[in-house]
Amino acid sequence: MLELKNISYEVDKKVILRNISFVFEKGLTYSILGNNGVGKSTFGKVIMGNTGYYKNHTGKIFFENVDITEKTITERAKLGITTAIQEPARFKGLSVKDYLTLGLKIKHSDEELVKFLEIVGLNISYLYRKVDKTLSGGERKRIELCSTIILKPKLIVLDEPDSGIDMMSNSMLKNIIDILKENGSTVITITHREEISVLADESLLLCGGTFTHSGKPWEINSVYKKICDDCNHINNPIKDKLSGVNK
Amino acid sequence: MELQRDHSKEFEAISKAYEKAGGDISGLLSKDIVSVIVSGNQIIGRNTVDGVEISADIKDNKVKLNFVMKDGVKLNKPIHMCVGYLKDFGEQLLDMNFEIGDNCNANFVSHCSFPAAKDILHKMDAVLKIGKNSKVTYKDEHYHNEEGLVNLDASYFTTIGENSSFDNRFNLTKTRVGNLKILMDVEILKDAKCYIESKVKEKKDDKVEIKEIMRLTGENSSGIAKTYVIAQDNSYGKVINEAYGIGNNASGHIECDEIIVGDGVDLSTIPLLNVKNASAELTHEASVGRINSDQLETLMSKGLDQEDATELIIKGMFS
Repeated sequence: MLELKNISYEVDKKVILRNISFVFEKGLTYSILGNNGVGKSTFGKVIMGNTGYYKNHTGKIFFENVDITEKTITERAKLGITTAIQEPARFKGLSVKDYLTLGLKIKHSDEELVKFLEIVGLNISYLYRKVDKTLSGGERKRIELCSTIILKPKLIVLDEPDSGIDMMSNSMLKNIIDILKENGSTVITITHREEISVLADESLLLCGGTFTHSGKPWEINSVYKKICDDCNHINNPIKDKLSGVNK
Repeated sequence: MELQRDHSKEFEAISKAYEKAGGDISGLLSKDIVSVIVSGNQIIGRNTVDGVEISADIKDNKVKLNFVMKDGVKLNKPIHMCVGYLKDFGEQLLDMNFEIGDNCNANFVSHCSFPAAKDILHKMDAVLKIGKNSKVTYKDEHYHNEEGLVNLDASYFTTIGENSSFDNRFNLTKTRVGNLKILMDVEILKDAKCYIESKVKEKKDDKVEIKEIMRLTGENSSGIAKTYVIAQDNSYGKVINEAYGIGNNASGHIECDEIIVGDGVDLSTIPLLNVKNASAELTHEASVGRINSDQLETLMSKGLDQEDATELIIKGMFS
């Protein structure tokens, strides 16, 4: 479904992503595990095609066998790719309802929207609240996750989906990922937390800008504990620790 | 509604403009509400209820309106002000005087429309005095003209009495602006509260100058002044927000957000905070620039193109 071929990305001659090649299969859930600063969020932005990321990397990206390397963020979104970024933006004056429906472009009744909100632990009182500083970061995060469920994407990148959500249990996040999966989405979760990583079918360890290991989440967690706890080579991997995963 | 003689056709025309501006004509016609209809330099209709006196005079081609609300009058229904100018060229000069007594509740809803304007001047000087323990809101919606030129020059001088509140919202976002010059000068007395907000969307060669002044003279007085301007094309905008902390424990906040859409815009914001009492506290926030890229890309990652994403963000700001 999503194929990455030799993706590299650097800023000011500093390598952030290093020759990544991988195929993400349709309908599976993946976790990308790694310490802070290893390039996890950059990886998500390269897939989404954010400004400054698309066209500025080497390699190719194929989505459902279509080369999307040169496609803009909107073009990729229209193909069915979306993302929930780590820190959702604030929108002065914009209601939760307008945000979830993209200004009523997505047709849902209030009752249906409330059911979506309930999945992320929010209630009807949020529907007409504003997605601005009157909502906490955690509340905006929940609304962002709610939005991804409504969009029913083919592929979604969830960047640190639990960040800022102190009270959110892993089971709630698991439920969200299960719903996305039931809707047919391929889910890529970016995280530095093993508890979140285990919610996926497959896991990848990102270290020094490349995938060093792949496998079942508990296997990768084990590797993560072994080699990442004392790792001081962020964006500068020690070669003998890399297995060079290519799928 | 007492409709002045020989004005039925004009009323029909102005009511159409009024509805276009977002007004509800049924509100104007109801007998149990207070309403005033000004067309050009004439008052073509007015209605009032017990406790509210409206008198009008036309002198030197200027409409002078006196509005007096007696102590203790609390109106649940809004007071409708319909102001319009149906000609293409000319001047509309207004002199408004509002006196709101003690312990009153008044909610003004004003719609100003200039649907045929090619080059007109709408000049208004308004004085509003609010007594003690009263609550007043004033919502002012403007509907100008996409092709013609409206020169709007309005000054508002308001005094908010002890323990009273005043909420004023000016909105000109549905049409082109033309030339807009607004001065809002508010004095806030002891324990009184003030909220003033202006929202303007300008384009082409529109010119906007807004000056908002809050004088926090009373002990424990508080006020917030917010201005939002979206500027496109070659439009010009200058916003001056001033707050003066004079009374004990006075607190004020001024905020100005100006968003640029395009390359030919000339926008500026000038905040002034002046404290004359050590216990007073004033703050301000200001930003001038393009729409935040995180906001844009968040919406674009959901499938909106850049124009639609921009429109939705602006819709939020003007909601």
